[in-house]
Amino acid sequence: MLADLADRIAHAHATRTPLRIRGGGSWLHAGRPCEGEPLDVSALSGVIDYEPGDLTLTAYAGTTLQELDRITGAERQWLALDPCAAPTATIGATVATASDGPLASTFGRVRDLVLGLECITGTGERVRAGGRVVKNVAGFDLVRLHTGAWGTLGVITEVTMRLRARPEQDDVFAICADDRTSLERRLAPLADLPIAPLALELLNAPLAASLGFEPRLCLLVRLGGNAERVAAQRRALDALGDVHEIALDRLHALRAADPTDHLVANITHEPSRFTDTWRHVSAFCDAHALWQPRVRGSIRRGLVRVSIPMPDEGAAHVGEWASFVRSIAPPGAHVTWEQLPMHAWPHVPCSVADRISTGLRRALDPAHILNRGLLGEPT
Amino acid sequence: MTRDALAAHLRALIGPRWVKERTAERTAYDADALPGYRALPSLVVLPGSREEIVSVVRLLAAHGIPFVPRGAGTGLSGGSLANDTVVIGLNRLTRIHSIDAANHIAHVEPGVVNAVLQRAVAPFGLLYAPDPSSQAACTIGGNVAENAGGPHCLKYGVTLNHIAAVTVCLPNGELVQFGSAVSEPDGYDLCGLFIGSEGCFGIATDVWVRLLPVAPAVRTLLADFSAMTDAARAVSAIIATGIVPAALEMMDQATIRAVEASIYAAGYPTDAAAVLLAEVDGLEAGLDADVRTIERCCREAGARDVRIATTETERARLWQGRKKAFGALGRIAPHLVVQDAVVPRTRLPAVLDAIAAIGARHGVNVCNVFHAGDGNLHPNISYDADNADESARVHAAMSEIMQACIDAGGTITGEHGVGLDKLGYMDALFTEPSLAAMCAVREVFDPERRANPGKVVPIHACREWAGRAP
Repeated sequence: MLADLADRIAHAHATRTPLRIRGGGSWLHAGRPCEGEPLDVSALSGVIDYEPGDLTLTAYAGTTLQELDRITGAERQWLALDPCAAPTATIGATVATASDGPLASTFGRVRDLVLGLECITGTGERVRAGGRVVKNVAGFDLVRLHTGAWGTLGVITEVTMRLRARPEQDDVFAICADDRTSLERRLAPLADLPIAPLALELLNAPLAASLGFEPRLCLLVRLGGNAERVAAQRRALDALGDVHEIALDRLHALRAADPTDHLVANITHEPSRFTDTWRHVSAFCDAHALWQPRVRGSIRRGLVRVSIPMPDEGAAHVGEWASFVRSIAPPGAHVTWEQLPMHAWPHVPCSVADRISTGLRRALDPAHILNRGLLGEPT
Repeated sequence: MTRDALAAHLRALIGPRWVKERTAERTAYDADALPGYRALPSLVVLPGSREEIVSVVRLLAAHGIPFVPRGAGTGLSGGSLANDTVVIGLNRLTRIHSIDAANHIAHVEPGVVNAVLQRAVAPFGLLYAPDPSSQAACTIGGNVAENAGGPHCLKYGVTLNHIAAVTVCLPNGELVQFGSAVSEPDGYDLCGLFIGSEGCFGIATDVWVRLLPVAPAVRTLLADFSAMTDAARAVSAIIATGIVPAALEMMDQATIRAVEASIYAAGYPTDAAAVLLAEVDGLEAGLDADVRTIERCCREAGARDVRIATTETERARLWQGRKKAFGALGRIAPHLVVQDAVVPRTRLPAVLDAIAAIGARHGVNVCNVFHAGDGNLHPNISYDADNADESARVHAAMSEIMQACIDAGGTITGEHGVGLDKLGYMDALFTEPSLAAMCAVREVFDPERRANPGKVVPIHACREWAGRAP
């Protein structure tokens, strides 16, 4: 199968035929419009090597996150990644899109968890990078290069991931506030609390409501470790207000994929400016009369993620897209758009237009056939 | 351009004091910490600022002259050796521009010594996690170039995981920034690609390092064993519990005895076949439960004794023995060669047995002091590099050890880099197309291959990369 895939890509290279890579279909609505013959790699599935004692796992790219969760869970281990995606999302696409979630503040982003990979370049060459061990500096780090490249430098066919042992205890607590004005006051004590949460996520009222909480600003704190450690941290949380334990599986709702007709953006800035970033995004949504924006933030990472139902009247609410796509983030912050209407994308600056990025694409996909246009790269 | 003419140009750019032409001066740069290799640079230039680096690199680019960037020269792979090439030494760039305690970021120049940075951020209750054993001398720029590790990487990760951004002077003299100190940019992870590129993609002129809060509590244990394989089994047992120790380091008997006979004596039991140094840190709550679990794992694996450091002095002493082990081993013979292979953790007992057998077969004395929790082995051999017969046996043994590690599913370097020393093993580890892809990536940064030429990827692998081989 791998040889067939390599042949198909080599042929596409020879005939200059654009290919649209497809795994579980989770991120097909993300990024710029991208046409091409479908290249389905979802059948390339299954675990290749899993030795629990090594806390590493090698799988074909089409293996789903839910399958990995099942296999590692049987050994009380996990891949500590919780991106917004359906359980049928594949590990290959997760790596290609570098998608993560609240756990990244503690366990690292995708780039920190992928140890090695194999991919097929835009010329049909099978290339291996990294390895299956937890430390490896042999050769240039093509693993990092392909992680988050959205398949534009090669079709990922196999990955090796670093696993963790599941915490002995893993509990989630919710602390809900009344309104936005108490944000600073609510969050200020966090810095001095003797807690080291696995995840610390702030949800706005519409998002909290969509998860079945009171429609109020809500702080989720996920605590893990041995019983003594979790109990001590739980007691410390009392300083933040009324604390409610919630079932772990309610967090899964937070991982639900964003509806395809939503505008989705990730805004990052310095963690010390988190509340400013949060306020700015909230005020932006108000100012544009955007209905029920779902906003969440990874506080320690300075990340605010917003998912907004597409305005009914389209651009009437939005005004000029050129200004809209930029001004959702406060000055100095960075916005990465995931989902936008097709006509808005030309207003989003391309982040791979620099000389080195362009050169890398020419080196690894000289005919420019892999997910052409997805990152807005110049042709 | 003649060497003299080049030197004159360089003197005009950065001042005569910082261009080293005399043989005696250049000889100080003819080796790094890899024994048995010497290479005399044609010139050594020591720029004092980002702008001076750029002007030097542009001058070299204009004349097509290769160069080798160099930090403290503590590398163990020959990566900073420069044979009749210009060395750009970065040791004058020692400024810590800023420490942003609120956002846990420091902006530093590449010549800042790792331990100096640690001391500078300590008053803020912060630390820089990568802590190579050479941290008293090695520089942040060198750490970035090699993607350096250290004992505490087991829990906290290697250099890659702690660099937010770099400003790079590309080999053509162009300044670019990869990554961001204030946000998470999209686009290709060029910062990640640059880290560990061993000076082949350019020179980092500015580095933004991520800092971590110092853990509020720490416990350090020393377990001693009457067999290496028992200690290795203890490692697997500890990892399997789900505890992620801050460090899990192993030393064999030969290393223990060398340490104890040196000024770095740490009180290790000299009759033990191996000692395991384990550290856990984090919140005070629950830490003693982790200590008890680790102690139980060690005893069940056959530990004769488990000692828990009760004072900071005792803890520092236990660590000193580990950190200075290579220094202590260096007293045994004129030269010490250290390897850096990594194997899957579960293969440690088998690979350690194989290494002992290889050493015995070649009549060389292999010592092991290594990051057991990561499976990162540092088999090292004390020998006399001027003795041709002994050198040949050492190299044969090392080569077999590397092959044994590759066969076990491992890799040839976990934190020291490929440099020159491990170039010969790259073909065993990577396929021809994989190496060719690396060459193609290198040429994007450096089409003329002038930056640290001849390192990391074997020249023969750099075939034309323009589609599939026919």
